[in-house]
Order: sequence, then C-alpha cells, then structure tokens
Amino acid sequence: MNKRIIAAIVRKDLRVVRRSRALMTPLIVLPVLLMIVFPTVFTFLPRFVGGASTAFSQMFRNLPDPVKQQFGEFTEATWIRVVHTQMLAPLMLLVPFMVANVIAADGFAGERERKTLEPLLYTPATDAELFFAKLLAAWIPAVMIAFGGAFIYAVIVNVTAWPVMHRVFFPDLTWTVMVLWMAPAFAALGLAGMLLVSLRVRGMQEATQLGGLFVLPVIALVVGEVRGAILLGPVMAVAIGLLVWAIAAALLLFGVKRFKRTSLVSKL
Amino acid sequence: MHRYGATVALRDLSLTVQEGEVFSLLGHNGAGKTTTVRIVNGLLAPASGSVHVFGQSPLTDGASVRRRTAVLTESPTLDERLTARETLAAFAEMYDVPRAEARPRIDALLEEFGIADRARDRVGGFSRGMKQRLSLARALVHDPDLLFLDEPTAGLDPVATHQLHDTVREMARTRGRTVVLCTHNLVEAQALSDRVAVLGGGALLALGTPAELARRITPRLEVTIEIDPARHGDAVALIAGLDGLTVATDRTGVLRVGSIPRERVPDIAARLVAGGIPLYRLEPHEPSLTDAYFALQPRGNGSA
Repeated sequence: MNKRIIAAIVRKDLRVVRRSRALMTPLIVLPVLLMIVFPTVFTFLPRFVGGASTAFSQMFRNLPDPVKQQFGEFTEATWIRVVHTQMLAPLMLLVPFMVANVIAADGFAGERERKTLEPLLYTPATDAELFFAKLLAAWIPAVMIAFGGAFIYAVIVNVTAWPVMHRVFFPDLTWTVMVLWMAPAFAALGLAGMLLVSLRVRGMQEATQLGGLFVLPVIALVVGEVRGAILLGPVMAVAIGLLVWAIAAALLLFGVKRFKRTSLVSKL
Repeated sequence: MHRYGATVALRDLSLTVQEGEVFSLLGHNGAGKTTTVRIVNGLLAPASGSVHVFGQSPLTDGASVRRRTAVLTESPTLDERLTARETLAAFAEMYDVPRAEARPRIDALLEEFGIADRARDRVGGFSRGMKQRLSLARALVHDPDLLFLDEPTAGLDPVATHQLHDTVREMARTRGRTVVLCTHNLVEAQALSDRVAVLGGGALLALGTPAELARRITPRLEVTIEIDPARHGDAVALIAGLDGLTVATDRTGVLRVGSIPRERVPDIAARLVAGGIPLYRLEPHEPSLTDAYFALQPRGNGSA
C-alpha cells in the first residue's frame, strides 16, 4: 500500500469535512453536549434542583441488587459515582460512533453526490488504498475526538465533584476500558455501517438516514445500563468491545469485497 | 464489448492509438465514448475482449496504468470546499509526484491557466470556465503520458478555448504526449486531431484522419472562383462547357462551382486561363469532418 496516497486522501477528506458547516455542527454539538454539558449538569443536579435528590434516590433503589451492593448506601457521592461510571458512561460511545458515521457518509455517499468521486477513481490509488484511506479519514478523527472528549469529561467530573468527593475518583477501570477499547470499536462500527449503506445508496441524505440505524446497539447499551439490565464492569466492557470489534470487522470485510472501482463507477 | 444490464454500451470496438497523436472519439450521447475511457483506465471491465495501455492491462495493472494517464471529465468534478492550490497539491500527492517537483509544477500550472491570483480561493466561488481550467490543471499535475479530455472546451470562453487547443497541440507535438479527445465539437476535433474514430450505438462507424474520413464519406467538393466581375459571363460560359459542371454567382459576388469530383478542379483552372480570364482566386472547399460525421450517423440517432 502506498502510504503517501492514503495520507493525501485522508488529508483531503478531513479538510473537506472541516470546511462544511453542515457536518461540523453535529460533530461539535454532540461531543460538547455529552462530554461537557451532561457531566456538569448531572453532577450538580441533586444539589441545585429541588426534589431531584429524592427522585434519584428512588431511581437508585430500583437498580438491581448487584449494582446497589457495588455502590453502597445512597448519598450524593454515590449518586455522582453511579451517574458517571454507570449511567452516562455508555452515552460517551455515541460520540465516536456518530463522528465516524457522519464523516464516512460524507466520504462515501457525499463524495459521490458531489461528483468528486470520479476523479479519485482515476488516480493510481488501488481499491484497497482508496478503501483504507476512507476508513482512516472517518476513524481517526472519531477516536481522537472520543479520547479528547473523555479527557475533558474526566477533568470536568473531578473538578465539579471535588466538593463532594475530595479526591480524583474518575475515571475508574471500567470507564478507561470503555474509552480505550470500546470507543474505537464503536467508531469502527459507525463507519462500517455507513460504508455498507453508502455502497447501496446514491445520496448523502439517504445514507445518513439508513446509516444512523447502526446506532441502535449503543442505545440498547444505554437503556440496559439505566434500567440495570447490564452491569458494566471491566470484564463486561472488554466483552462488549470484543463483540463490537468482531461485528465491525465482519461488516468491513464484507464491505471491502464490494468496494471495487468497477462497482462504484456504475453508481456515478 | 461492454454492457450496462441489457444495454450494449460497446461492441466490436477495435482501436489502436499511437504514441504522440491526438485522437478523437466522436459520437452522440450514449455512443460509448465515456465507457471507452473508463475501460481504458480500469474503471470498468469489458464483458469480452481485452485492452492494453502502455503494454499493460488496466484491469490487472490499473494503478500502474493510471499513474501515466489523466482524465478531464466532462463536468468539472472539483471539491468546492478546497482551494485551487489545495486541489492541485492533493492530486499531486495522490499521483505520487515527488515533493520537490510538486510545488513548482503547481505554481506553473496555476500561472499557465490563469488561476494564480485565485490560488488560495475556494473552488466553490469559481466560474464554470475557471473550474474547467483548474480541472485541466489537475489533470496535468503529474505530467501524464496519456491524457483523456472529455468535452474539454465546454463552458470555456474563446480565449480559454484557444489556450486549451494550444496546450493539446504542445503536449502532442512538442512533448510527445498522447491525447484522446472525446467531443461533440466537430470543428475542434478536425482542428486538433491526427485521427478520429466515429462511434455510434457503441460500435465503431469509421476511423481515419479527418481529411480521409471527409473524403471517404463525401468525395466531391465545391470550388470558389474569384475573377473580375465583368468577366463572370465569360467564365460561366467556359465552365459550363465542361461536362456536368454547374456554376453560379453567389451573394458575395464570387463564382461557385457545385459538387464536383476533385480531379475536375485542374480542368476548371486550365479552361479559365486558356480563355484569358485573370484568376484572382480558385479555392476548392474540402468536405468537413462535420459533413462526414452526419453522413455516418444513422438517422434519428440523437444529436451531436
């Protein structure tokens, strides 16, 4: 594989994404919401919103026993730990998923829609180089934003919870595994899903609508966590990450076999 | 042969393009020109038959073939969010142009195509003509040996069209590059091409130099004669004495001899000189490629 050709396509794609307000808006809003606004609001909520503490206490009592045993009695400190290490944690996975999904939609379906795919097909890039470049162009920023966002999230949580916790308590092992292992997997899932959809549709809008369906596993994880159906510990995080990596790899393998110039050109 | 579903896009097409020639593919929309370009560059696989470019198969050695070719597509397919310079720099890298060569080459192309002062502007703000010029600069950024130009002058003003024609001639005549022109512009094809292939319904209808084709399809020509208007009557009488020739004065005041075989042209000149008529101008009009093109196309087969 020619690394220079791959790097050139990645750089071009990222530059194009950076200059699109329509693409950058969700890429900024979602991480800001999930990585900055949510941790801040949920840390302070019991302190400043009347009745919130009672409601959260009720919510805590409804959690399965293993969860309750893990966190002990309900206090403000317990609430902070439950919220950040259990309830909000899976939401963080939406960020790499969505970033990869949106960039991949622009890189595959968007490029076709703008009619800029054809000149790329005429370059010496092989099908594999083209495919790999498109993957990297979506995956690298998704993972970087996830890592950066996770760092900011951790800082915000520790700072805002300091008056209660009096120590750096976050991230814990589960969250670390989620960031380093699951987030890249969900980014891969997001772009793999979009790749498969983009190979079949012609337009960006169609691609984003169908590709968004691949977010369902993340939603299921969030709901499972909130309802206590899934107790996300380090082992569970590794297992789920492995499963997502396997699904993403299978989808990408399926996609790479269909990512041929001769097929792509028929949809120009 | 190549098919799109049940539609046969190309059939029985056999062509060889020589190094250093300007070769035109002519045909109506859907004649198979773009399909041919895509097959030659390895973007499509022929259903049957084989293609060789620089001795290599575009299907198995596609990357190697495309490294030496370039395609200017019919509509400017530029990313509007990139600047002109970024566009050329990105494609220079994709074609693996050495870094030391890329920068001066990009500067030269921007200058040559009149985009230097807009090099840092995003392509989205460019006029259609500027986009077309930038597309051509992009196609030339790796100094290709074989250049495909699909409707290259569509949207260009006369000055830019003239410049593009000069570029094509310079590439072929001075630098020995090969240019394949896909065009509906028959005048352009006649002016630039060493040889042309006329396609229709995916098949090769005719192949040869523009003059050969024109003569083959329409072997007769017209002759314009300019003499002293006072001697028109004498001249008409003399020419009418030649078997089968008809002559008339046209609205510009010159004599026009109707469709005649080319071997009769010297007879006309000899008869007038022998008759003591001073001859200011005697000009045979070669049939044009346009005449030949329309004669070749089946009736009702779209429009050029």
